Amino acid sequence: MKDLVCPLAVLPTAGGDKEGGGSESDYVSMAALDLRAELDSLLLQLLGDLEELEGKRAVLNARVEEGWLSLAKARYAMGTKSVGPLQYASHMEPQVCLQASEAQEGLRKFKVVRSGVHAPEEVGPREAALRRRKGPTKTPELQSSEAPRDPLNWFGILVPHSLRQAQASFWDGLQLAADIASLQNRIDWGRSQLRGLQEKLKQLEPGAA
Amino acid sequence: MAGRGKLIAVIGDEDTVTGFLLGGIGELNKNRHPNFLVVEKDTTINEIEDTFRQFLNRDDIGIILINQYIAEMVRHALDAHQHSIPAVLEIPSKEHPYDAAKDSILRRARGMFTAEDLR
Repeated sequence: MKDLVCPLAVLPTAGGDKEGGGSESDYVSMAALDLRAELDSLLLQLLGDLEELEGKRAVLNARVEEGWLSLAKARYAMGTKSVGPLQYASHMEPQVCLQASEAQEGLRKFKVVRSGVHAPEEVGPREAALRRRKGPTKTPELQSSEAPRDPLNWFGILVPHSLRQAQASFWDGLQLAADIASLQNRIDWGRSQLRGLQEKLKQLEPGAA
Repeated sequence: MAGRGKLIAVIGDEDTVTGFLLGGIGELNKNRHPNFLVVEKDTTINEIEDTFRQFLNRDDIGIILINQYIAEMVRHALDAHQHSIPAVLEIPSKEHPYDAAKDSILRRARGMFTAEDLR
């Protein structure tokens, strides 16, 4: 009795297996079948990623459009020239940063994080021991040690609610941008894997192409 | 700098850049170049391309956000960028809605599927 261990597409001959060419072609067929299964799985994953990308893009575009509308409302409330590059600070520290991690070779994932106070070792009593008794207390190192200012403060102390809404919309947009960047990277990675598998398949089945 | 992660850069019109800077991505000090560019009517294509290439060459930038109509001006530079980082994201602008047919990433993905490959 022979155990049927071959996949469905390759059936052992009734007359008994022939050594040499028969077993080699069986092996090639099995390998090709495995490759095809892997290709199918990768293709399905890619299609799923593309669908997810399309969905996230639509949401990002919607958030950005909401943000523009809120900015327009803020301009209406504060004045046309009150919300724009003229109000940008001369010194900016990023409040939002990106963490990139590599799950597999070539496959990256991005995540947006809020950075709190930067470099806490710069803030604080470096000069505590040297505190001067006379004269106004000067803090010459504040320009590098102060916590990152909320960009809303560039536009004044009391800003309209629409400007806060704009900030929230664009902050949501940043989260989505990180997700989209991760998806794009996964799709690119999947493409290169797909090409590799197709090349292997062509080598195994040169006559099939 | 290594401890705080990578930056998000933006190249866009006034509203797009102002919005994302409000979101907190901006970096500007006298020692470092800014991670944003406001594209105005008198901004030349060379300036845009130079800034885009600078952002690509910086190792502290993880994502570049760019309005799609501006990306069209420097499409050759975008298509030539094959690395995974920084990732380039095309976003719409007020006057130019997003068109998936022009997106570099999606055009490459569309090229994956041909009749011969699926045989």
